[in-house]
Amino acid sequence: MAAVELAPAQIQVFQVLTIVVFAPLVSGGIAHLEARLQGRRGPRILQPYYDLAKLFRKETLVPENAGWVFMVAPIVAFTCYMIVPLLIPVLTAFPLPLGYMGDILGGAFILGLAGFAVALAAAESGGPYAQLGSSRAMTFGALIEPSLLFITFTVALVTTTDLPYFEAAAVRSSLGQWIRPAHLLAALAFFLVVLNDTGRIPVETHASTLEFGMIDEARTLEHSGPLFALLKWGSAMKQFILYVLLVNVFIAPWGLAGSRDLGAVLVAIPILLAKAFGVGAVFTVIDNSFSKLRLFKLTEFMASAFLLAILAVLVLYLGGG
Amino acid sequence: MAVAPPVPSTFSGGAEAIALVVLLTEFAMLRAPLSRSQIRLYAFQSLAVSALAVFVAATQHIPELYILAAFSFTLKVVLVPGIVLRLLRDARVDLAGSNRLGVATMILIAIGISVFGFFVAGGLPVHSHSLPTAALGLAMAVILVAFLLVILRSDVVSQAVGFFSLENGVSVASLVVASGLPLIVEVAFLFDLLVAVVVFGVLMRVHHGRTQTLSTEALDRLKG
Repeated sequence: MAAVELAPAQIQVFQVLTIVVFAPLVSGGIAHLEARLQGRRGPRILQPYYDLAKLFRKETLVPENAGWVFMVAPIVAFTCYMIVPLLIPVLTAFPLPLGYMGDILGGAFILGLAGFAVALAAAESGGPYAQLGSSRAMTFGALIEPSLLFITFTVALVTTTDLPYFEAAAVRSSLGQWIRPAHLLAALAFFLVVLNDTGRIPVETHASTLEFGMIDEARTLEHSGPLFALLKWGSAMKQFILYVLLVNVFIAPWGLAGSRDLGAVLVAIPILLAKAFGVGAVFTVIDNSFSKLRLFKLTEFMASAFLLAILAVLVLYLGGG
Repeated sequence: MAVAPPVPSTFSGGAEAIALVVLLTEFAMLRAPLSRSQIRLYAFQSLAVSALAVFVAATQHIPELYILAAFSFTLKVVLVPGIVLRLLRDARVDLAGSNRLGVATMILIAIGISVFGFFVAGGLPVHSHSLPTAALGLAMAVILVAFLLVILRSDVVSQAVGFFSLENGVSVASLVVASGLPLIVEVAFLFDLLVAVVVFGVLMRVHHGRTQTLSTEALDRLKG
């Protein structure tokens, strides 16, 4: 059989589709594992797909006085989550043309725009819990931002660019590169950032129905029907994107397609899913072994992420580590 | 165009990573609310220092360091934490609750002071291609944060643990910079530590006997 060469643009479509199609699967797999660890049978792995299908069939209810922002925001957020996979190494080890469009900060801005849209919609809805959630999400988002900046600085010092593809290539290049303290620290700090951004313990109990402890979850309380489905799907995609960044850029950038061959790209998909489930399993174990921090103790969590990130820059800048 | 810093060798990368674990444990001690967990963290930190000794011994082929690692393991991982934990059990005090400042503030101050330590170590005229230079800065940061632990937490256990972990920082520095340091000097360090344990043990007992608490807050009240 002759190898089929894909055009770079086709591979990029593949990347976006991988994220869109498999994000609910990753969420479902993690929820299933979590239930198993707690001794419950748990939902089916495919349950998120059924949930989405159900929500798309339901009617949309809009709170009184809510304007067009409320309706548009879920679509904006979903679009943002579809743009980010164009910038990051999802399936291939070599940079794709659109990958030069934005660096790590660019990706973070687009994710931030999505978060901003959802927060705006929550504020527009007038629901007290949604507003509480959006205000908290913005506050803690601002507190975690310095860590992200310092992680970017570390990447920039190591690779002299801040493109995720080059960081992944640098990590792949040698064991010394992987074991160097600056990289370990940056990876660990990014792990904490992901923990915060995906709303996991110790920051947030993601499956809780108690509104007072909610941060990200509370923002979508007022949405219903297809709009809510888009938000749910979007948050699954955000989680998958962050997992991809964590494994494919920092922790284990191996098993990616090395050529534009169709077979190689297709093989990269199950490998990526396996890695995402691996990360998800780690998060689940953390979820089950720690308790949620009190809201006002969250600054300690942010401070520790900041500590790791700033130490990464220091070790690199002053010690060459 | 900026130039990327060279990739450290596996030896210095590994040594620095272990030194980093030592520093992070020091930070964890600073924020640990329970005296018990502080001591466990100290045991873990000492374990990391022993691992560093084994790592240096294996990669640099200095067999004496295995003996040192064995010594420091028995003394600092098993013996010292065991003794202090037993003293604590007798005192029946669990929660130190001795933070003079909020945890986030303490961590930020500690970050600031480690930056200072890094700059100081960077200014030292110790440069060698085979030397993990970042580890020296890390050791300096460990020592400074240990001082901070002694200053910012007002209970006897923190002060003892701060002093002990200071010794760990010195050990890291000596292992990395002068791995060929005569064994007898290192053992003398460890012996010093043993003396310190006795002193702090007596201090804890007497202090707890007088004031019924391990906090040193009560000490500035005059007795007349």
